[in-house]
This record gives sequence, structure tokens and C-alpha cells, in this order.
Amino acid sequence: MTSPLHRLVWSDPGRRARILLRFADVEADGGRDLVRAAEATSDPILRRLFLRHAADEQHHAAMFRTRAVELLGRDGNRDPAPASEWLAEGERGLDDLNVEDEREPNLLAFLHLSEKAAEKAFRTYASILERDPGTREVFQAIVRDEAFHMTYTLKQLNRLEPERSGWLIWRARLRRLWRAYLRLAGAIGAVFGAIVLSLEYFVVLPLFALFARRAAQAEPLGWRPVDDARARDLGRQY
Amino acid sequence: MNILGVSAHYHDSAAALVVDGVPVAAVQEERFSRRKNDASFPLAAIEWCLDHAGLAPENLDAVVFYERPLLKFERILTSALRAFPKGRGAFAHGMKNALGEKTWVRGNICAHLGVPGRKVLFTQHHQSHAAAAFLTAPSDAAAIVTADGVGEWATLSVGRGERRGGAVEMSLLREVRYPHSLGLLYSTFTEYLGFAVNEGEYKVMGLAAYGRPTFAAEVRRLVSRTKDGAFALDLGFFDYHVSVAHSYSRKFLELFGPPRGRYDPIDLETDEGRRFADIAASVQLVLEEVLLDLATALARETGLPDLCLGGGVALNGVANSRILAETGFERLLVPPAPGDAGCALGAALYADRLHFKNPDREAVDHPFLGPSVDPAELVRLGREDDYPVEMLDERALIAHTVQDLQAGRIVGWMDGCMELGPRALGHRSILAAPHDAAMRDRLNRDIKYREEFRPFAPVVPIEAAADYFELPPGGARLGRYMSGVFKVKAKHRKRLAAVTHVDGTARVQVLERAMEPRLHALLTAYGRASGLPVLLNTSFNLAGEPIVNKVAEGYSTFRRCGMDVLVAGGARMLKPALATAELKEAYA
Repeated sequence: MTSPLHRLVWSDPGRRARILLRFADVEADGGRDLVRAAEATSDPILRRLFLRHAADEQHHAAMFRTRAVELLGRDGNRDPAPASEWLAEGERGLDDLNVEDEREPNLLAFLHLSEKAAEKAFRTYASILERDPGTREVFQAIVRDEAFHMTYTLKQLNRLEPERSGWLIWRARLRRLWRAYLRLAGAIGAVFGAIVLSLEYFVVLPLFALFARRAAQAEPLGWRPVDDARARDLGRQY
Repeated sequence: MNILGVSAHYHDSAAALVVDGVPVAAVQEERFSRRKNDASFPLAAIEWCLDHAGLAPENLDAVVFYERPLLKFERILTSALRAFPKGRGAFAHGMKNALGEKTWVRGNICAHLGVPGRKVLFTQHHQSHAAAAFLTAPSDAAAIVTADGVGEWATLSVGRGERRGGAVEMSLLREVRYPHSLGLLYSTFTEYLGFAVNEGEYKVMGLAAYGRPTFAAEVRRLVSRTKDGAFALDLGFFDYHVSVAHSYSRKFLELFGPPRGRYDPIDLETDEGRRFADIAASVQLVLEEVLLDLATALARETGLPDLCLGGGVALNGVANSRILAETGFERLLVPPAPGDAGCALGAALYADRLHFKNPDREAVDHPFLGPSVDPAELVRLGREDDYPVEMLDERALIAHTVQDLQAGRIVGWMDGCMELGPRALGHRSILAAPHDAAMRDRLNRDIKYREEFRPFAPVVPIEAAADYFELPPGGARLGRYMSGVFKVKAKHRKRLAAVTHVDGTARVQVLERAMEPRLHALLTAYGRASGLPVLLNTSFNLAGEPIVNKVAEGYSTFRRCGMDVLVAGGARMLKPALATAELKEAYA
């Protein structure tokens, strides 16, 4: 299902390029996490699949980056500012999963949901990009890979934990929700933090700023002696 | 006495353990977390160091952090205030950053390790650099220079160190303070040229060789010399002290023109590409000029034959070679990890020798202080995944590898304990024949996925180094850890095309047999077979990834790129297609 918000977000080529660059970073991060998973597993089947999956993610990262650079060249915007985290949904790598500490069934459940969400989101983006066939083709190609990733993760989960696979997927779903909440809370916290610190900067600190600037003007340029006694006192943090 | 050194929270965190005055373990956190330049608290590295030495945290006599967090906090806060009202962003960013974890280091260390607060000590940032440079160097008396972006306040410092009858004396005499910084000058141009700061400085140096310093006069406007022989930056050209968005100011752009976009290709055939190369050459030249003046003055002042150089700026091999050749010092000693990772070791050694006043020990003159490889692991992986793998004795391993290299195969080479520092010096390396440029291009395209203007380094046995490279006196020592860039002799450049940079130079590693016997044997055997005892040696990693640590990481890297052969200790693995071809050849 497409929303006007999606159309709005994807309408501007510059913003589109920035989002694609962020997707490229996320795919590359996900690829690295999968490499870690492949290195950590003792299951040869999973190792082979994780390595294949990692190669796909790296390939996707390259596709996104190449397309973004094409759009940037066309747009004349050569050095884009990073896109805000909440502007575009979609796959989010493995959500900073600590791969080494995860049990393989948990990891597979998490991967399955992640790929499923990505497949759905990328399919949506492809459907609204009728005016940008180049970007649409990128999404369509990646969606095909995501379908494979969804399938193999579920199959392997059923192989390893045939009895508990449903429960593990539900648990992974709850975990994704929790992490989404943490991301949102973190973003809101960051905004509030910036506001409070800005207020502090402009309301509380101007007098101190004046002193600091005066002190800076009085500082000589060039060499400054090192206070040897202070340097040798290793108990000091200051 | 057991002393743990820790560096963290800026870039490249690390841990190092000194037991009874001897470094027994040192490793960067990124090698465990697999996040390049990981700056987080190095818990995995600490755990490995303690496990390796069979120690528990309660056995530690001291934990030494490599800088003084509250002094650093003072600099961040003061800088934001001095920049009022433009410094709002820097203030908010700095406060959020510093007050989260970075300022409460003593508490964090106590919480993580369970050691009492009185055991947690703090060296100053440049003191740690100086200790990492001098206390690991085989020198009885040396002048010391440390230079980087910024520590607490210092950005560059000079001092001297001396060993006398088992006692060590080392002190920093004077320093240049933030915001005047050679490291940040270079980083500003790194950002301007579209590369990542703290990561892309190598690229600026590589690109510089393609340009002419036609912007040197402009760069000199940014850096003036003070009457006392130091330097000062014209801060109007910079923004790093007032903003978190960019290091350069509008005035900087008026002087040098529009910056390169991060995603723009560098095409050296175009005017724009040449402009960027010329700017890189210009900042490189000016950096060298300032460093040469400082080092020359220090050589005159101290009259000492050795100079120990530490800090991130010491990774600039081109500048190092000029310092060695032109300042009057006979030897330039650069440690294998001159950057912040090496500070963990420096901090621990400083505490041991100068705080606890323990007797000096012979310097550990090698970088192999990390985890070792287990060849059995590669055999297991190969058998599980149907990859052809065999265990070979030393002679067969060398013979097969020589054949591989002669056949133009690219070899992943894992041997012994991992190096501390950014360079692979023969224990986590990718090796290849150095003869033609096609090999360089193949490595860039299929393995390293990096820009074509970046050169690869050669490794050569010390006995043959002077035959192929123009080494000045002291050059072999500087080349021990790949810290210098020297001319390739003109008559050999054609046969060393894969490792000869566009300006006819190479960042050569000069290998002594005692430091790495197996690689030395391989080079000698390769020399006998090919007539040229030189190999291309680049770090064993893919773009954006840290150097591999364990066999499993080497194996996954091997599978994900165009590498042909993987050697881990005595185990040798081939790509399946290659093994089939080898079998056909053997039975043809």
C-alpha cells in the first residue's frame, strides 16, 4: 500500500539520492554482520548461506550507491547531507544485533523478519517510482533477492527449531518493536537534549564565553611549556 | 608488576598488557568487534590480554588510561565558549558526547574490571604517544616529537628520553596547543578532498604523488611560523574549532575553490582531478616543510642522533623519509602503532618505567603482540565446506607458495601473532608478485576495492633492500615497520611495477630474518626462483573492514574476494576451481 507520504518523500531526486545512500550504508552494515554470523557459526549450511547473503547485501549496497551517485550527478548536488533516520523506513541491517552473542535460531528469526520488512518496503518504493525507471529497476532487482533471503531464513529456522519457530518469530517481532521504540525515544531524546543544551548555551554561558574569549586573546601563539610535575602525577584526571 | 594500558573513545581503541616491564599482549578492539577504527571501550581486547597472560583483573597493579578525560573535557567546553555564538552545535555535540561516557573513565574502568579506583591512573595523551615511541625503541637517548590532530590540549610536542643504567628518564619540554594543529590541517584537506577524516589521510598522501605543489603558496597562507620556531594556523580558514559540520571555512573555499564531493570520482585526466591532486601535493609539501624545520631545530638543540616520532602524523611515510634525510638525525624511530592504538602500550610502559620506577627492559622490537592463528581451524573449515586444504611442512609450504606467487596467484598469509597497528607486516598480509601493474589493478579491483591512485607496498629482506631501493643511512630501520617512502632504483622499476608509485617511490618494508623468519624464508625462496626477492605486501582485509584476526575471518575474507590461496600457519587452502586445475595439471 502506498501513501502520499511515500510519494512526497521519494519525489525529490536529491532526497531520493540521500535515502539510497543511507540504504547503501545499511546494506553494507548488514553484510558485515552476516559475515560475522558466518564466521561464528559451526553449521556449514548456515555458513554457506550467510556468506551468500552477505555477498548479496554488498551487491545491493553497491547498486544503491551507484544509483544515488547517478541521481546526484543529475541533480547537481555533489555532497549530500545525510538523510534523517526517520525519513525512510525499510531494512535496517540487523538493528545493531550482536551477532556473536545470538543463538542461531534467534538470529534466523530476526533476519527473516528484517528481510520480510525490507521486501515489503522496497516493493512499495518500486511501485511509486514510475517516473524514475532507473531507481525502480534497482528496487525490483533487490526485491527478488530479499524474497530468497526471506525463504532461506525461514527454512533454516524450521530445520533448527521445528517446534519453536513460530514462537521465535513472535519474539523477534516484539524485539523489533522494542528497538523501534528505542530508536524513536532516542531521536526524541536527542531533540530535547539539543534544545536544552542550546538554551543553556545562550542563557547560562554568555558571561563565561566572554571570559573564555578574553583569555584566548591573551594566549601567546607558538610553543607553550609543559608542566612536568603535573604531567608526572598519574593520579590526576585533569 | 602487571600493568594494563587502555586507549578508547576517540578512534582505534586498544588494550596492552605489560608484565614485569615487558609488553606481553597488545591489540586493537576493532580486531575483535570487526568494526573498523572501533572507538568503544576495549573490553574484548582487555579480556584477551588478560586471558593471554593468565591474569584476572584483581591481579592488575594498575590500569592506565592514555589521556586525561577532564582535561579533554575542559578543552571541548572552552572551545565551544570561545566560539560563542557560533559554537552552539559544537557545544551540544561535545556535551552529549563527553558527558555520556567519555568523561567518567575512572568509574567505567572500575565498573568493567572491578578494580579499585586508586589503581586507575592517567597519562597525558602526548605523553602516551611519546612513551609508545621512545620506550619501545632500541635507543639509549633520543629526541622525541609527537604530532596528531589533538589530545587534551596539545597537538604537537617535543621532548627527550634517556636510558641510563636501567633507569629511564623521559619528559616533554614544550607543546603547541589546540586549535593550532598540523594533524587537523591535514585532516581539513582530507575532508576537502572528499575523504573520510581519520581514515582518508593515506589517500591524500597517495594522491599527492600525482600532483604538483602549485597551491603551496596558498597553503602557506594557512600556516605561519611563530618567532619561537613553532607554527600557528590562520583560524579564519578553518571551522573545526567552532563547528561540527565542516573543518574548513568559507574563506578556505574562496582560496581553494569548490571541494570534491564524497562520491565524485577522481579523474586525473581532467582539470578538476588534477586540481585536487595539486592541492594534495601542496598540503603534503607544506606539512613536510613545517616538520622538517621543527625536527632540524630539535636536532641542533639536543645534539642527539636518534629521533622518536609518535602520533598519527608519524604515519606520513613521505614526510618521515624527508625528516630522516634532511634534518641531521641519524635514525628516525617510528613505532608500528604510532597512532592512538599504540597509546595503550605507551601509557602502560610510561607507568611502569616512570611512575613505578621499575628497571628498564630491552625494547620489544616487533609488532606481533596479538592473538595467534590456529591452522587446525582452517583444516576444519575446509573439510566442512569442501574446500581443498592440506597441512604442509615448512619446506613444502614455502615451495608451494613460491609456485603460487610465480603463477600470479594472490595469497592470503596468516602466520603467528597479529600485528599491533594499522600495518600488516607479515602476519596478516596479502602477498602477490610485484612485477606488473596488472597485479596492482587486479588487487584494487577484486580484493581491496579501492581507488586506483593508491599504491601497494613491497616487502624485501634487509640483505637485498639496498639493491632495489635507494635507502639513505637509517632507511632500513625506518622501513622496518613500513614507516618510510623511498625511491625504487630506476633499473628495477619496470619489474616492480605493482609496488612502484607514480613518482617512482615505494613504502617499503625492510624485513630482518629475526623479526619474521618464515616470511624472510619465503622472500629468499621467491628471490631464488624469480630473481627478485621482493613481494607485494598489503593488509589482509577488504575495504571498510579491519585486518583479519582469527582464521575464520581470514577464511570468510578469502571466500568473498578474488584471492586464490589462503595460508594459515602450516595449512594451505585453494579456491576449488584452482585446486581442480592444479590436479589436472599434475596428472596431465
